[in-house]
Amino acid sequence: MLARGFLISITLAAALSTISTTSQAFDDGKYPNLKGQWTRARAPIVGGTQAPFDPSKPVGRGQQAPLTPEYQAIYEDNLAKQAAGGQGNWQAGRCYPVGMPGVMTLYRAMEIVITPETTYILIDHIRGTARRIYTDGRDWPTQMEPGFDGYSIGKWIDEDGDGHYDVLEIETRFLRNPRAYDPSGLPFHGDGKTVVKERIYLDKADGNLLHNQMTVIDNALTHPWTVLKSYRRERAERPIWLEDICAEGQALIRVGTEEYFLSWDGYLMPVRKGQPPPDLRYSSNPRSNGWRGDWDSGAIN
Amino acid sequence: MRGRWLPASAVCLATTAAAMAHHSAAMFDQDNPIELAGTVREFRYTSPHTFIILEVKEGDGAGKVWMLEGNAPGNLARDGWWQDSLKPGDEIRLTVMPLRSGAPGGSWNATKVKHKNGQPIVAP
Repeated sequence: MLARGFLISITLAAALSTISTTSQAFDDGKYPNLKGQWTRARAPIVGGTQAPFDPSKPVGRGQQAPLTPEYQAIYEDNLAKQAAGGQGNWQAGRCYPVGMPGVMTLYRAMEIVITPETTYILIDHIRGTARRIYTDGRDWPTQMEPGFDGYSIGKWIDEDGDGHYDVLEIETRFLRNPRAYDPSGLPFHGDGKTVVKERIYLDKADGNLLHNQMTVIDNALTHPWTVLKSYRRERAERPIWLEDICAEGQALIRVGTEEYFLSWDGYLMPVRKGQPPPDLRYSSNPRSNGWRGDWDSGAIN
Repeated sequence: MRGRWLPASAVCLATTAAAMAHHSAAMFDQDNPIELAGTVREFRYTSPHTFIILEVKEGDGAGKVWMLEGNAPGNLARDGWWQDSLKPGDEIRLTVMPLRSGAPGGSWNATKVKHKNGQPIVAP
C-alpha cells in the first residue's frame, strides 16, 4: 500500500511539473482577452419568442434559410407540427444537446478558456457542453465518431500584424444528428456532412462585445449560409455559473410520437386540443380509469 | 372566464421564454397569454426549467394547481432570482402563455411576475 501511494505521489508530481512548464511557456499576452461570462447580445426577436439562428431576421420562415426544395418541404411539415403544439424537428426538448451550430446562439452563458494547444468553449445548457477547438496545428483525422458539437480545428490569426492575435478561425466537422438550427426546427441534411466555419473576434470599438461570423455548409442548403452572432461580456466581476442538467427539470415527456407536459403532481397533461392519451399497447393491465377528469378538456385535477 | 385567470390584454411577450430554447415553445399559446393570480405552493429551482406550482382559486372557490415553467436557474440568477425568491404561501400574479390544450400548465417570464400588491419579486 505504501509503495502504491509513493507511485501516485511521483505521478502527480510529474503531472504538475508538466503543467507548470506549459503555463510558463504560455504567453497569454498574445491572445485577446476573452475572460469572463458571455451572453447573447440582446436583439429584438421578431415573429416568435425564441432566439433564431440568424439574429438579424424574423423567426421561422423569416430566416429565409436557403434550403433545397426537399428540405424546405421537411421544414414546412415541421412547422405544421409545431403549429399543432408539437416539437417538430427540435430535439433538445427531449434532452438532446443543441449541438453545432445552434449551441453558439447562447441560450445559456458561455466561457472561453484559451490554452496554446486548445481553446475550450464551455456552455452549460442541457448538459455541460465543452467544445474543444484544437489549435495545435493538427490535421483532420481520417476517421472520427460524430458528435453533437463535432470535431473542431482552429487557428489564431494576427490580422493587423501587431504581434497579437485578433481572430480565432474555426472549422467544425463530424457532426451528429438529430440537430436543428433553432427551436423553429430548421433542418440539416440527414447525411451528417455539415461543415461549420466560424470567425470569432472582439469588436474593435467595444472590448466587451464579441462577434461570431458563422458559415454553414450543408447539403440541405442551396448555398452556404452566413450569419453574424454577437455576445456581450457580463459586468459581474465574479459571474454566476450554475449547472444545467436536462433530466432534473424536464416536464416534456414523449410517448411514441406524442409529447405531453407533466402536471405539478407528476401526471401527463395534453399539450394540444384533441390530443389522444398515451398509447398503452405494451401494458398488460391498462388502467382504463387512470385519467383523472376529462382528458380532452384538460381538466385533469 | 374560469376563476381568477384573465386574458392578458395586448401583452408584448417578445422576450418571454426567449432565452429558454431547451424545447420549442410551440406547445404554449403565445398569441393568447393569460393572467393568473394565486398562491405559491412550491418553487422548483431546477434546470433546464424552473417551475412555479401555483394554486388558483376557481369561481366556485375550489383550487386548481398550475404547473408553470420558467427560465433556467443559470439565467434567472443573473437577474437576482434564487431558490428562495418565491416561498410557499406567497401570493403572486403573473402573465402566462398557457398550454394549447387548456390543461393547467404554461410558461412564464421573470419580468411578468409580481407580488399580489404589485411589488416586483426581485428588486430591480
